[in-house]
Amino acid sequence: MKTYIAQRLFVAGLTLFGMSVVIFALLRLAPGDIVDVLFSAAGYVDPSERQLILEELGLDEPVWKQYVTWIAQIFTGDLGKSYRYDLPAWEIIKPLIPVTVELAILATIVSVLLGVPAGVMSAVRQDTGFDYALRVVSLAGLSMPSFWLGMVIILTLVAWLGWIPPLTYVSPRENFWLHSVQFLLPALAVGYRSSALIMRITRSAMLEVLREDYIRTAWAKGQAGRAVVWRHALKNAILPVVTVIGIEFAFLIGGLVVTETVFNLPGVARFLVEAILWRDYPIVQNLVMIIAIVVIFTNLIVDLLYGVLDPRVRYGG
Amino acid sequence: MYPRSLVTTVVALGVAAVAMSGVPAVGQAPRPGGVLNVTQREDSPQGFAIHETSTISTVWPAMPCLSNLVIFDPLKQQESAESVVGELAEKWAWQDGNRSLVLSLRKNVKWHDGQPFTSKDVKFTFDMVRGAPDAGKLRINPRKGWYENVEAIEAPDPHTVVFRLKRPQPSLLLMLASGYSPVYAAHVPPAQYRTTCVGTGPFKVKEWRKGEFIDYVKNPDYFIEGRPYLDGMRYVVIKERGTRVAALQAGQVDVSFPGDMSPTSGEQLKNAVPGIVVRPTHENVNNNIIMNMKKPPFDNAKVRLAVSHAIDRRALTTAVHQGGGVVGAAMAPKPHGVWGLPEKELLALPGYGTDPAEEKEKARRILRDLGFTPQNPLRVEMATRAIAIYVDMASFVINELKQVGIEATLKQVETAQWHAMATRGDYQIGANLTGIGPDDPDANFYENYVCGSPRNYSFYCSEQVEKMIEQQSAELDPAKRMRMVWDIQKRLEQDAARPMLNWRLDHFTTWPKVKNLVPHQSLYNWGRMQEVWLDR
Repeated sequence: MKTYIAQRLFVAGLTLFGMSVVIFALLRLAPGDIVDVLFSAAGYVDPSERQLILEELGLDEPVWKQYVTWIAQIFTGDLGKSYRYDLPAWEIIKPLIPVTVELAILATIVSVLLGVPAGVMSAVRQDTGFDYALRVVSLAGLSMPSFWLGMVIILTLVAWLGWIPPLTYVSPRENFWLHSVQFLLPALAVGYRSSALIMRITRSAMLEVLREDYIRTAWAKGQAGRAVVWRHALKNAILPVVTVIGIEFAFLIGGLVVTETVFNLPGVARFLVEAILWRDYPIVQNLVMIIAIVVIFTNLIVDLLYGVLDPRVRYGG
Repeated sequence: MYPRSLVTTVVALGVAAVAMSGVPAVGQAPRPGGVLNVTQREDSPQGFAIHETSTISTVWPAMPCLSNLVIFDPLKQQESAESVVGELAEKWAWQDGNRSLVLSLRKNVKWHDGQPFTSKDVKFTFDMVRGAPDAGKLRINPRKGWYENVEAIEAPDPHTVVFRLKRPQPSLLLMLASGYSPVYAAHVPPAQYRTTCVGTGPFKVKEWRKGEFIDYVKNPDYFIEGRPYLDGMRYVVIKERGTRVAALQAGQVDVSFPGDMSPTSGEQLKNAVPGIVVRPTHENVNNNIIMNMKKPPFDNAKVRLAVSHAIDRRALTTAVHQGGGVVGAAMAPKPHGVWGLPEKELLALPGYGTDPAEEKEKARRILRDLGFTPQNPLRVEMATRAIAIYVDMASFVINELKQVGIEATLKQVETAQWHAMATRGDYQIGANLTGIGPDDPDANFYENYVCGSPRNYSFYCSEQVEKMIEQQSAELDPAKRMRMVWDIQKRLEQDAARPMLNWRLDHFTTWPKVKNLVPHQSLYNWGRMQEVWLDR
């Protein structure tokens, strides 16, 4: 087990190194830089002023040197300064992380609570009206982009109630009720889409397991339906579902851009897009690395969970 | 004869409309207190450093913190030389044959950090902006050209400042009254304004939560007794347009972002919230066509004229801007602007006639004479910024050009690259937006039309026009100057220097409780907020 984790951490390190090169290179390959954006807001470009700003930000250095400086900064715990805000990058990134993590966790909870039971029930009542209804609902969830659903929620609320959730972040200590409302609605919008996917995976995994001999034996022995479905069948069908939940959670950390924008939540994804448009390299590079770390470790945790959920799974040395 | 009840109703509706219009309501004494929630389209790109940018996204949220020497009267809708009132300057006078502007400054004015404000601060600021030797330096200095005519700035005593000019320039006062002309503190490094604000304005920055909001509190030491009325303000950053409209409708914000509301959004809000105030407001931002005169085919004035003739400006206003625009030449059209061409003269300009078919025929004739036919069309690349308002306009123009035999392909340029590309001249023809600070000929012509000026993306350069611009700038007789400005506008359109398509109209929206927030004809100059109060 220890060897397995060590191997995975080594691969994670390699992946992060690769990511750092890719994101660094891609940012430099994209046309324009922060200086162009600054001049764009001023409506003109002065080549001598431009050169001075490039020097001030260290963007006149050779690209390899900029990369080495960045990596060295990471190892010293200094993420550099935001070009746009002229403030330490960590100072800007830090408050964004809890917002996105909370939203992703809530959305994942919503998707699991909706998706897994729906998938199980749909499989148990295969080809009934109930199954068809659930499949239609799940297909709708997959077809509806969560940002669209988010906008529909906002517009419906404002049209019917003349009210929308708060548009500036309310901390739970400040007002727990408002905080919950602020996060629950986007979590529902995002969670619905994820739940549709989880429901479909759960259904197909369950259908496969329900046809196994040991399930038939359990039925034959006269075990209670509930016990057969939830204790025996679901336990054996859950592995692919857990994988999907892990992937979905990891995706949400960086993929909430539009939902955060529609609900005006100050999270990582919304800020990342803004930083990309601004060519704010220190913010983008470090945020992408943070997201990559979350994705890698989520996958690792999911892999380790396999052993807990299925004792047959052994981690090779 | 109309029934008496109908007349009464019409009169009552008229009175109600005026009362709702944001103009101080007669008999309503302003009430102090309350917090105003204001929409902000994006986080302020340069913090509070107004001198280093041109975008309304910085000017709008930064203005309440700062003060000018003079400002356009916040309660008058139309800005002009007559509407300029003192701010940090109590009074001013032209001396030395109108070559010196002498300003007497208010006494006992304090910066937000408690330091006293003096004439040194004024000299520091405007020496820096005009790029005087040994002065402080701005990282980016978009309005240096406004002060080319300033020879020296003197501070003979702490409460007097003198702008010495090379020649008379009545526009100087209007440029100083713009939201683009705040006074910085000499004891604060200019770079610091990108993150914090030390001003003398009616509001002090309480907190700037990046990407979320800017919170202001009332400045208890503000130099105007009894102002501001509000206890505070919050500029809420809402990136998504649909959410901004929903936030207004739900009352989470009281005021829209200037330049953000289309006629459709305004109409939608009016239907949803009875009493909400939607005012068509001139922005002093125009949609225009830039053509690179350094390269063929647009180095040929006839080709440029054909383009100008081809575009039906009124159809663009109706189809693309849903009626949210006004047709005009290089200066803001009347009745919104002061310097706009009279209707008759405007209609006589190439492309501005009311018969689009006739205008298009003129374009075809010109192109035919140059050897371009439907079988052998002129092929060009139309560049524009990859933002919906630009792309929609460019697509319309491409269709118009096609009808006269110009085949244009659309090239969308990412925002970060747009101005760099235009300034370098890496394009043939482009669909562009230009915002102008004050409605003033000098501010406009020196920025956009004189040879080598920073925003002269077409590289238009005419010695004769430049002379005309200099002459109008020095002219002291307003009526004479008006005629000179009209002549320049006509000449610019005849040369197709940068054909104007239309001037944008915002549908500025406020809740009825917001009083004394009067939009002017330029969206860059009325964000100080010291007169605004809430009728709670």
